[in-house]
Amino acid sequence: MDPLIEMQRVTKEYRGVPAVKNVDFILQRNEVHALLGENGAGKSTLTKIMAGVTQATEGRMLLEGREVSFASPAEALGQGVAMVFQETSLVPSMTVAQNIYLGDEKFFNRLRGLNIAAQQFLQSLNFNVDPWANVAGLGAAKRQMVEIARAVRQNVKVIIFDEPTASLTPEEKHHFFSLIKRVKERGVSIIFISHALEEALAISDRITILRDGELVATDLTSKFNRETIIQGMVGRQLSGELYSRKDRTARKPGAKVLSVQNLSMGAMVRNNSFSVYAGQITGVFGLIGSGRTETAKIIAGVQKRNAFYGGEVWLNGRAVRYRVPAPAVHDGIVYVTEDRKLEGFFETQSIAENIYTGLLAANLNTGLLVGMGQIKELADQWVKGLSIRAIDSNASVIELSGGNQQKVVIASSLVQRPKLIIFDEPTRGVDVGAIAEIHQVIAKLADDGLAVVVISSYLPEILNLSDRILVSRLGRIVEEFSPKQATEAKIMYAAVH
Amino acid sequence: MISAIKRSLDAFWGRGDAAITIPSMDGALRPNSLLDQAPALVALPSPDNLVVCAGEILFSSEDGLFALKQAGPSSEKRHVFDKTIACLAAHPSGALAVGTAGAIMLRGGGRDGKVFTQIEGRPLLCPTALAFDGPDDLIVCVGSRTLQPEDWKRDLMQLGSSGSVWRLDLDKGSAVCLADGLAFPYGVMLDSSGAVRVSESWRHRVLRIEAGSAPETLVGDIPGYPARMSPSADGGSWLTVFAPRRQMVEFVLRERAYRERMMREVHPNYWMAPALRSGGSFLEPIQGGAVRHLGISKAWAPTRSYGLVIRLDATGSPMVSVHSRADGVRHGVTSCLEIENRLIVACKGGGVIASVDLNELDKE
Repeated sequence: MDPLIEMQRVTKEYRGVPAVKNVDFILQRNEVHALLGENGAGKSTLTKIMAGVTQATEGRMLLEGREVSFASPAEALGQGVAMVFQETSLVPSMTVAQNIYLGDEKFFNRLRGLNIAAQQFLQSLNFNVDPWANVAGLGAAKRQMVEIARAVRQNVKVIIFDEPTASLTPEEKHHFFSLIKRVKERGVSIIFISHALEEALAISDRITILRDGELVATDLTSKFNRETIIQGMVGRQLSGELYSRKDRTARKPGAKVLSVQNLSMGAMVRNNSFSVYAGQITGVFGLIGSGRTETAKIIAGVQKRNAFYGGEVWLNGRAVRYRVPAPAVHDGIVYVTEDRKLEGFFETQSIAENIYTGLLAANLNTGLLVGMGQIKELADQWVKGLSIRAIDSNASVIELSGGNQQKVVIASSLVQRPKLIIFDEPTRGVDVGAIAEIHQVIAKLADDGLAVVVISSYLPEILNLSDRILVSRLGRIVEEFSPKQATEAKIMYAAVH
Repeated sequence: MISAIKRSLDAFWGRGDAAITIPSMDGALRPNSLLDQAPALVALPSPDNLVVCAGEILFSSEDGLFALKQAGPSSEKRHVFDKTIACLAAHPSGALAVGTAGAIMLRGGGRDGKVFTQIEGRPLLCPTALAFDGPDDLIVCVGSRTLQPEDWKRDLMQLGSSGSVWRLDLDKGSAVCLADGLAFPYGVMLDSSGAVRVSESWRHRVLRIEAGSAPETLVGDIPGYPARMSPSADGGSWLTVFAPRRQMVEFVLRERAYRERMMREVHPNYWMAPALRSGGSFLEPIQGGAVRHLGISKAWAPTRSYGLVIRLDATGSPMVSVHSRADGVRHGVTSCLEIENRLIVACKGGGVIASVDLNELDKE
């Protein structure tokens, strides 16, 4: 046992509400340590204390046996603790090399020298990234590589990853795991926060589970399995609620609400045709880049289809062509984005303001002037209805956990009284407890007669939720399965071939 | 004036009528392989119109009239006509009407041997579907004024709309036109209220025609070319679809010069047009990777032929469907009958009469 970081009875309170309570945590030298828990369990808070983003209210932290307290991330970095956030902190307009050496520039910089040094460094890590490339043009996995390279270059002892795989494709995830192994071989310890339990079981040496800010369990990974982790995270058996409703009866279709005919948009959406019916959940599965999101965005007016021969969208028997989302929202089409942080909410605004913004967007507000009481009253209904866990509806959305942020996005969409609602990756970056709750909300919408579309890359979610399953490949729907017919193998075959 | 400008703009942008889009086969029309999995009752070249006459199932196959024996199963040739049989209709009394290119003949019943070669002065060149309306009247669908039933592809490529539906008085020989200017009416039945339902192939719809009123579209935007209909046990109907709509064909239908040259220079079997069967020759359009991938036929390939039967409820809404997909062989379905919880399906393109267990359909 050679502890690198040791947290002793650490407590952190926000406005008197504890986010972390008396947590003991040990990170051993040269280990990958998975930190698991529902959204709001305190994982991010604990790691932010380690990385100097925030400071503990009580308790102490030891780094290599020395008591430390970091006032800023820069101070933590100086002591060898780096944190890679879910949203990378790279500067998109700069090159990879410039980002790696950011903050370390000399008064006069020779760009060529910078690039050569960056290239040699990236090669030593076996990272296949072009140092000349602009970061804005890189995929999520390569951005992660740059972020890791930047951390490793600082000769850090600990790298903390917060949800590193949430936005990666399966291939990119595979690549990312091999990166982790390589970084570990260089003597770096890693803390890995994830909602994907299989990943934690596959990659980590030890697992720590937090629940409601308290330590529930910490042990070697070999002592855990999926069931025990879930039970530790949510405090109850959830397997019966999650991903096990395959034998249920599919809902009968109602009227045809949406008919998409030969929709085309550049290379992403190619001749896509499908229909959506009221009172049903239509699941859309496809690999990243299969054009699912783009199709949904065209339907909702977020993106435009091809000007020439772009196909047709029929809503309740009427051809529609939205150039902006407002008329689509007015006609009852709502798109719940996959990228909630960028497109889903205003992070500095409160829950109440965000929910009311949805109402304003649908032009359903009454009168020119609106009292804060009215806004709060509406928000309180939805906070209660969707079990959004927050101090109150005046809390900023940025302070909420991922699952609760997603519920706010859903609430601000549902206030628009949609007839057709499209969920794009509704449970991405959401913990298992919140997943079950969001699934219940989606199921209830279909039971209430709404036409619901769920786009997901997670097969168990599609199999569990959908009354009909559409498979998208290369920009079009290629296959439809009933829940009875569908198997993971069949869906995957259609998605790939 | 405004509509003319809109048409021009639509033609420029590829929108509206010029969008060249086709509805998807999903929901109630979700593809399955039930038709290919169903046991074959009889294999004969081009089995076509199925009817029940005096308690037995009759069907046409080229110029022959056959009886289907479910025991065996086998078929028995009853009669050979001098031309290909285009359509059949039977009355419970045992009367049978047989349509060929140029005539409608009655067999059995009180008018045995009676022949009609004209209908209100027009030659009966293209009878496509018949239905008895009581013992004395026959509803006749005429697909085209100028072309014979076998020339249906040419009628489509010429954007034909000279079809009509008539009520023919079998005693007097007089007829009343129920609807004219139709684009290849190919199926007819009487619904429970006595109104006439007609499938109009080239406009992909089913019409409801009542005396004294304009035809009303019961089902529109069908993703294929509808053919004959028959009643279902639940008060609705079965609608056969003999070929799927494809974008390439829709595109060709907008290109007059291309079509004319194609009709002049290419054999009809190889036209870019719907087909009752496909995949038999390397000369056919739509081949290669569009149809097969790594040697496996893609079920979702955009083939020119397909097998499809749709059950419509009493209001005309599609409920369920039976398919033979692009990788199947039971294509070109032109007629079907529901008998004792089984659906007897004539696959004209596939050369087989199949029997689909409707319990299997309910499980889908």
